[in-house]
Amino acid sequence: MNKPPILPKESLFPIASLRSAEATTAQVTLEVLNPRGEIPPPPTLGIRPRLPNLAGKKIGLCDNGKFGASSFLDAIETMLKQKYPAATILRLPKPAAQTITLTKGWYPEVAAQVDGFIFATGD
Amino acid sequence: MYVTTSEFLDDARSAAKDRGMPQLRIVGVPADRYYRSRSSVAELQPIAAGAFNQIVDDLVRPLTAEEANPEQVHKELQGKTIKVGGTDYSDAAEQVNQLFLDSLWADGLPIVPPTERAVKWMLSGLSRSPDEVIGQVAPKNGTATIEKIAINAVMAGAKPEYLPVIVAAMEGFTDKNYDLTHMQASTGSFTPVVIVNGPIAKELNFNSGIGVLGHGWRPNSTTGRALRLCLLNLGQTWPAMNDMALTGRLESYTFFTFAENQDLSPWEPYHVSLGFKPEDSTVTVATVGNPIVLGGGAVAPWTAQGILDTIASRISNVGFGWFHSQTYIVVLHPDCAVELAKLGYTRKGVQEWLYERSRVPFETLIPVTVGFSHEAVVEFTRQTIADGRIHPARADVFKEALKPGGRVPVVQSPEDFHIFVAGGSPGYDLLFGYPGPNHANQTTKITSSTHTTAGR
Repeated sequence: MNKPPILPKESLFPIASLRSAEATTAQVTLEVLNPRGEIPPPPTLGIRPRLPNLAGKKIGLCDNGKFGASSFLDAIETMLKQKYPAATILRLPKPAAQTITLTKGWYPEVAAQVDGFIFATGD
Repeated sequence: MYVTTSEFLDDARSAAKDRGMPQLRIVGVPADRYYRSRSSVAELQPIAAGAFNQIVDDLVRPLTAEEANPEQVHKELQGKTIKVGGTDYSDAAEQVNQLFLDSLWADGLPIVPPTERAVKWMLSGLSRSPDEVIGQVAPKNGTATIEKIAINAVMAGAKPEYLPVIVAAMEGFTDKNYDLTHMQASTGSFTPVVIVNGPIAKELNFNSGIGVLGHGWRPNSTTGRALRLCLLNLGQTWPAMNDMALTGRLESYTFFTFAENQDLSPWEPYHVSLGFKPEDSTVTVATVGNPIVLGGGAVAPWTAQGILDTIASRISNVGFGWFHSQTYIVVLHPDCAVELAKLGYTRKGVQEWLYERSRVPFETLIPVTVGFSHEAVVEFTRQTIADGRIHPARADVFKEALKPGGRVPVVQSPEDFHIFVAGGSPGYDLLFGYPGPNHANQTTKITSSTHTTAGR
């Protein structure tokens, strides 16, 4: 993929400092303002403990409704049933896949039904 | 755990971090194979098989300490200013440009260095506190303050008198009802239109005539570019990282920014039709897809009714799925609007005519997305009626239409056709459609201007 050179965010200010150091010998110094919006970070959460194994567990297969995701999970479901016959597989497609409303209640519903879940996006 | 394609791994990791779950386990399947194999389960099976062991392992492999208790992400400490040196002004400005582009803070065209003096000059155009928070900008929810907007406006080459327009547009983008994430991140080439109404448009010399979408007009170009830079820097997006527009976004540097041609319009200004006063000035922002250029012009003859027929026909043939949120920006050139007025059309009349004539026979309802069936579109539409996304007041219209012999409206109501008059005489008509999944159209009053008579 053709991407521009990307500086890790942590390195931005050291580079700025380097520029500042250079500026001490430069004839012209421009002091410019940072154009980035500050992001108030949400609380950082850990991920849930993993399952010891899949035997006897309920595994939810969720997709975002984009074309292909469901078919991909069809293939995963077949393999799970073959390899882990004691597992229960539930198909839980995300309702109203791309809308920003109406899905908040869906996540707790999924969590209440399964021991683990695989979420596949079609893009 | 989460599965996506390899081209979306950066985007997925970024989104997981944004949502407070930086340790989310993510598996990427090869994008170059996945997208060409989506027609059947059989074609996808080898790709699923290749990812299967990793998927299962991600479900059962015990957590590391960092995964269980990740370090809290703290607000990134931002240096307010950065000193950049050069042998002369041109060299220093070039160093600023390279630093900003390397940092993903610029759009690839030269920027004006946002020095404190330049930003103070920009802020002189508005009587609001630099610290005032306008809102959070999707997708990363960067905070848009008046000062941050002004910094980006300087970079874009705007003038202080444009700042009230730019700020009002940002208020529209950050409105709680506006789905900015879709425009900022979608794989489609969605992009904004920015349309200025009211006396400030003429006072600032926005182009609304011949060349309305073209270059050469500083208000149009730099207002749009300031918004491009605000969305880039405040929402913190970058192509192929979390802005996934596969072919990029049309008019990516300046957006489609213009004013309504109120002088040549036979109708009340657009903003007045929404309930604003004639002396008010407003800016409308809306997410749109690719524009279609329709009848008019200086070459072939045309009729106003023929143009309306063409618009209705084009709308009726584009495929559907999002009736609850679909909107159209219809830009009529002045001659067309005048001829329509002679035929007795008001703006409301045009809206109602398009609403009725663009209805789609139930039997020919086709999905907007390849791979979904007619039945899926019908079922999805019924779902949007049931869950209230189609307004209860309009529900009966859709229920009645969703059966054999019915004619399904392509939008919820006639007001979802937003009719503007712009361009010169002669001119062409433009149709911008938005088939997105959520609301993305907002008109905001321009206020607090200090350098203009309007918009104060």
